[in-house]
Amino acid sequence: MFQSFRHAASWVHTWFGLVLGYVLMACFFFGALSVFDREIDRWAIPASRFAPQPMPSFDQVLRPVFESMQPNQASLDQARTLVDGPLPMHWDTPKAWTASATHRDPVLNLEARWETPNARVPDDVVGLRTINPRSGKALADDQLKVGSQFFYPLHHNLTLEYSITANGRDLGKWIVGCAGLVMLVALISGVAMHRKVFREFFTFRPGKNTQRSVLDLHNLTGVLALPFHFFFAFTGLLIVAGSYFPVTDTQLEPLHELHEKMEAQETGLPHERAGVAAALASVDAMVSEAQRRWAAKGMAGEVGALRLTHVGDANGYVSIFRAGTDRIASVSEGIHFQASTGQVLREDPPQTTVGGIADFLVGLHLQHFRHWLLRGFYVLGGLMGAACIATGFIFFVEKRKKQHARAGAQGCRVVDALAVTTVTGMLVATLSILLANRLLPEALPASWLPRDRLEICSFWTGWALAMLHAFLRSGAVTLGKINPAWREQCWAVAVMAIAAVLLNWITTGDHLLRTIGAGYWPVAGMDLSLLVAAGLAMVAARKLRQRERGQKATGADRARAPAGAREAVNV
Amino acid sequence: MSTDSLRRRDRAALAARTLLAVLGGYAFCWGVIALCAAGTFPLGMEFHDGETLGSILALLLYPAAFLWAFAARSIWRVGAVLVGGGALMAAAATLIQSALT
Repeated sequence: MFQSFRHAASWVHTWFGLVLGYVLMACFFFGALSVFDREIDRWAIPASRFAPQPMPSFDQVLRPVFESMQPNQASLDQARTLVDGPLPMHWDTPKAWTASATHRDPVLNLEARWETPNARVPDDVVGLRTINPRSGKALADDQLKVGSQFFYPLHHNLTLEYSITANGRDLGKWIVGCAGLVMLVALISGVAMHRKVFREFFTFRPGKNTQRSVLDLHNLTGVLALPFHFFFAFTGLLIVAGSYFPVTDTQLEPLHELHEKMEAQETGLPHERAGVAAALASVDAMVSEAQRRWAAKGMAGEVGALRLTHVGDANGYVSIFRAGTDRIASVSEGIHFQASTGQVLREDPPQTTVGGIADFLVGLHLQHFRHWLLRGFYVLGGLMGAACIATGFIFFVEKRKKQHARAGAQGCRVVDALAVTTVTGMLVATLSILLANRLLPEALPASWLPRDRLEICSFWTGWALAMLHAFLRSGAVTLGKINPAWREQCWAVAVMAIAAVLLNWITTGDHLLRTIGAGYWPVAGMDLSLLVAAGLAMVAARKLRQRERGQKATGADRARAPAGAREAVNV
Repeated sequence: MSTDSLRRRDRAALAARTLLAVLGGYAFCWGVIALCAAGTFPLGMEFHDGETLGSILALLLYPAAFLWAFAARSIWRVGAVLVGGGALMAAAATLIQSALT
């Protein structure tokens, strides 16, 4: 149906890129922010502005906290949909306890898991808690970690966790999956579309008309970071491939079962509980034994994760994993101990070839390693991805704007308004949650929604208002002109970003002189980034103003052509 | 090149190719992963390694299959390869599984 492969590639690139580009913008932008999610957390939770801590003593600090944990309300609500009868009032016999730390985290994340009794499909309920590892004290449950608990999930599931199947609750995950696939397709088709590949890819003519220079910038940001874009879309899909293609949980479930039984036999790590209660030996002693063994292998290191499986049972075992701060593959070199005696049950064997490749790919995406320069480049790559997609939208609009204006078609107007929503509107939303985070008082009146809900509400409200504004002001596009919402939202971004920095100063006393002076980069870096964003937004707003003025002089004669030929224009 | 002026007759074909690209590609990838996981298991590869290897292959093949669904001259051939091929590979995986369990 297409004359050539190039035509097919071009059609796929244009239309799939247009439809899923809006989602991809969010993936790239919030993915870029997630590179510094722990630092954003520090900005948002002033009580946690202290240096990263190693894993604290299990016996003294962690154990009492784990023993007091119960499932979270959200997890219980989820479980209720899977169970016909009532749920237990008190949850004992946890399936597993897990503590995990990174080299950037001052606070420690704890997770407890229980098997849901009488569930229609096997499922777990979870309890989550964040503690200050120096005191064991829990952070308030409604303190939202804006970076790691909101921007990070946003970039891989849009925080849309609606149930579409019995055990899947992730509409957003599937949308992002489609977007990731389209990103890969768009990169291949984007290269295939061009006749003079090399010449077109290394051309940038900022002085030419908008359509030309936007296309140049689209090619430049796309090609310069092509390996980065391809790698992140690909590994992003690979990380969750098991839930996009649940082959081994459905079709190959019997084989999976067989494998797990064989594995349990081979590793000596019990697959099931024994049903006999047993005490827990000193986990701290196990940790020092694990560290001794790592050091003996020439790779001394900190504990990245610690897990107790089959809690309180004779079959219980403790797994200790090394933090991947100094290597790309995230967490490894696990050593497993019998929980009741502290004897070593097993040391994980050296990685297999395929496992090593997968860990490397996944590790490069998740970046648990310590390398601040590379981290900076990740942000740059992510922002280039966002710029590439945004220029794609603008090119789409610029190419058709005049034609649509003559024909009286509305297509460009809608695409342009959606582009405003996803570019400047997304920044407005991001700044809304930061402002709400600093404006809401520490203790909220009891009748209000919890603090984290309010912050998330302000994010979506900010975005919805930006969208409304973009559509209300979009009339100019039907006359072949620039939507003034671009400029107005740039100003909004500038004002909000500066306000966020000021509010951080007022509410915490941590102004830039103090944070830079103390070398406290998580908060200083965040404030500086906000100021840079404000500066760029102001420059953009001024440039847009110049263009709008220029258009008024030359473009006034291009009034609306008679409508009626609508169908000829739009696909 | 003008992609804006596709005729109505083409819309049905495009819709069919879109469906085939998304769902046919998915079926084909499912088959690749299933066959990889089940096929490498008796050869001594770790089960999840087989699955991961299949996923890596599948995720590289998916975008190629996706584009091919639009570029190929015959939509029937695309359907036969993607859906038929996927079903065959999945069936083979089930056969291997039933021989082992």
